[in-house]
Amino acid sequence: MPEPSVGHAVELNDVFFSYGSTRILSGANLKVGYGEAIAIMGRSGVGKTTLLKIMAGILKPEKGYVRVLGCITHTGCFNSLRGRIAYIPQNLGLVEGESALYNVLLAKAPSKPLRFMAGLWGSDDLSEALEALKMVGLGGKARSRVDRLSGGERQRVAIARAILQRAEILLADEPVSNLDLDTAEDIAKLMVGLKSKGLTIIAVMHDKWLTSKYFDKIYLLDGGILREAV
Amino acid sequence: MIMLIITLILSYPLGLVDIGVWAKVGVNIAKFLPELGVRWDLVGDALIASYETLIISLLGVSGGTLIAYILAPLASPLIVPPRVAFVGRMTANAIRTVPAILWAILFVILVGPGPRAGALALIIYTSGYLAKFFYESLEAISREHYDSLRVIGLRGLPLAFALYSHAKRYIISNVLFMLEYNVRTATILGFVGAGGIGYYIVNYLGMLNYQATLTFVIFTLLLVVAIDLVSYIARSRV
Repeated sequence: MPEPSVGHAVELNDVFFSYGSTRILSGANLKVGYGEAIAIMGRSGVGKTTLLKIMAGILKPEKGYVRVLGCITHTGCFNSLRGRIAYIPQNLGLVEGESALYNVLLAKAPSKPLRFMAGLWGSDDLSEALEALKMVGLGGKARSRVDRLSGGERQRVAIARAILQRAEILLADEPVSNLDLDTAEDIAKLMVGLKSKGLTIIAVMHDKWLTSKYFDKIYLLDGGILREAV
Repeated sequence: MIMLIITLILSYPLGLVDIGVWAKVGVNIAKFLPELGVRWDLVGDALIASYETLIISLLGVSGGTLIAYILAPLASPLIVPPRVAFVGRMTANAIRTVPAILWAILFVILVGPGPRAGALALIIYTSGYLAKFFYESLEAISREHYDSLRVIGLRGLPLAFALYSHAKRYIISNVLFMLEYNVRTATILGFVGAGGIGYYIVNYLGMLNYQATLTFVIFTLLLVVAIDLVSYIARSRV
């Protein structure tokens, strides 16, 4: 079972990771407190996405460990965290051709698999999903297909899914890339605003101005290690 | 060209290149043509037989799709442990390896002749074929989509269903393809007593009643063309 919420929401301890003979992380350390919003920056191909995937438990470190919400990744304890971590990949992971509402309701699928497979959601599920969409400003577009939404709106759908999931940690990979400056700022504000709901946010970012304006801390990934930017 | 020449040489003992036999073809056509025509009194039977063939095909597709929907995740290492996936994949392959007509013979023995045997044969055959298409579609989905669903906490069949929704176009396209395929196959299944229009064709052909045979062949063609057309329109709208 997960340990009580003490210490840090996410902790990386001397983490090493390689793709074949290419070393990506060489002793990365990080401590993220509960309710913090931190940004990870660095050159393209330096391993920021890999780092996020390690925190999400998708990739396993070669050496060192990652502790998320009190559980070390790739253990039974971590598996019991299901649903408490939200991961928004670069392509957002949305189901094209389906509505915004369908995509948000996916967050409920692990706890209500039969309802999900039958496509028969209860009125409480639907109203919660609609509420999440309203919170991100998409109340009027619940039935719109996600492939017909703008880039910013698609980001909002992905964030609404994390809200409905009641995730405690949000891992977002370049959430504002390919967006115009105003939309990017709206999304950054919306995402970091989720701290008020108790979320810890870790995002891979490129925009220095947005990052320094909205995030609590910035870490630079370079040469396989993380250091806090000052 | 070289392959054709080698094959022709190899086929000599079978009499396929016997010039004398080929010379008789013209004579046979000349005898056969006056016998051609449509038996209008059999149109009612042909309509009923076409309907039976259509229903056998639809049952084959809908039942087969349902089984494949469950079988494909069991054959995908993304959803189940690799050893289970191996067994699932082998099961789907084994089902697919046996031709539909052999399944029909088996079910004629098990449940007796008629459309019931034909429908069962097509359900099983379609499930093996679609299971392969479906597990391939699951594995073709981008890793990022898969990862984001796994992190949410989706596992097993619900994960497969979520992945299916990513591959909806591909899946619908393959189901429609199988419907076209099944209509053609359901025609043949009648030859072994598994119902449908083929039953009439093989019987009238056996009696050398070419007009009756042609009547049923024309209805077969109309049915196949109609299903191909419906499938084409449906596919273009997916």
